[in-house]
Amino acid sequence: MKFMEKGKIEDLLIDYIDGKLTEADRLLVEKELLINEKTYKLYDQLKEVMQLMNQSSTLQPSAKLKADFDSFLKSESKPVKETKTIFFQPSFYRVAAAVALLIVGGGVVFTISNEYAKQQAELKAMQKEVKETKLMLMAMLDNQQSASQRVLGANVAYKMERTDDEIVRALVKAMNEDENSNVRLAALDALRKFYHQDHVRKTLIASMATQKDPIVQIALIRLLAEMKEKEIVRELQRITTDEEELPAVKDEAHAALHQLV
Amino acid sequence: MTDEAIMEAVKDGDLQQMSLLFDRYHKRIFNFLARMTMDRDVAEDLTQNVFMRLIKYRTSYRHGQRFQSWIYQISRNVFSDHYQANKSKSSNFIDVEKVRDVVADRDETMDQDEREEILHRSLAMLDDEQREVLVLTRFQQLKYEEVAVIMETTVANIKVKVHRAITKLREHYFELEKI
Repeated sequence: MKFMEKGKIEDLLIDYIDGKLTEADRLLVEKELLINEKTYKLYDQLKEVMQLMNQSSTLQPSAKLKADFDSFLKSESKPVKETKTIFFQPSFYRVAAAVALLIVGGGVVFTISNEYAKQQAELKAMQKEVKETKLMLMAMLDNQQSASQRVLGANVAYKMERTDDEIVRALVKAMNEDENSNVRLAALDALRKFYHQDHVRKTLIASMATQKDPIVQIALIRLLAEMKEKEIVRELQRITTDEEELPAVKDEAHAALHQLV
Repeated sequence: MTDEAIMEAVKDGDLQQMSLLFDRYHKRIFNFLARMTMDRDVAEDLTQNVFMRLIKYRTSYRHGQRFQSWIYQISRNVFSDHYQANKSKSSNFIDVEKVRDVVADRDETMDQDEREEILHRSLAMLDDEQREVLVLTRFQQLKYEEVAVIMETTVANIKVKVHRAITKLREHYFELEKI
């Protein structure tokens, strides 16, 4: 086996021990083992470590592992609603806003059914109401004094049937820049509803690279993975290798990659 | 019932079925992680993390995906995150003194125990990737084809990695044996 380099001999010997050589190679190796003492020693050592690995016994985990798992499974099996309570806490406001709109809207509809002229007048009133609602929600989103007002603003946007560029811009600004996590999440929640609008979609994808709030990052990753946005794969890969990202964010990025790739 | 059918049920919300998968896999995953970290306590925590992630990310399980490959991929991610989080805290990630912990107690001769301890110390001297291919293909006896799926590479590449790792392990083993 003079023509062979050391690495090649080892490759052949490992395959020989594994029983993976062709008949011709097997005979070649056996012949070499008979005449070359160094090769035989190498074979003997490789065989020893390979056998030791194959025969290495199975380690037994402690009973605590099973007990901890059972306890975790029990807690996870509880209704999902409980875990989301915090995020939807502002729903009181949302419901209040929705009820207020319904009362106003319902009142308008009831009235205009009486006569056409009155209907027209009320229609104008309703349009005015919508415009005022928009102004109100923009003012709420811009209220620097009260985070709960800003959350309420985002939730009113969520309740709207349609949105326009101005509202989207305000929501994106809130999602990316607001100092309060609940506001950022409420804004993302509202934007999610308008996801089918191309500029909203693009804005959310772009926000992946700049978003610093881990809670919003996780929600954003979940949303974009759910929407099967392959454009975020590179950003997800960056997150999984970035030492500064929190483990929970990395977990989410790993999961999203599994989902997308 | 196949692993895949159970995982589909878990994905559909029947979380209790996960205990069947736990019973089937927790020892294998624990052994994989114990030999990667060379620390039993850490390996138990990480094994727990693996099953928590399976539940948390159950909806990302793809229909038809081999469950065994998936759980090993998640285990690798858990180990990788643990490694990333700890490498800045200590330059000597594997505590050589703890290597003895991962050598199982057996009713064998002292000679066998000593040889196994040297084997694990040699294993600890390999880099993570070399240790990983040996743990998967030799200790866990997974086929090269499956390890290639888990590590997202080709079978030929796995074979090269395994051979290099065995060669390196042999060198460390017989150096340590002389001491």
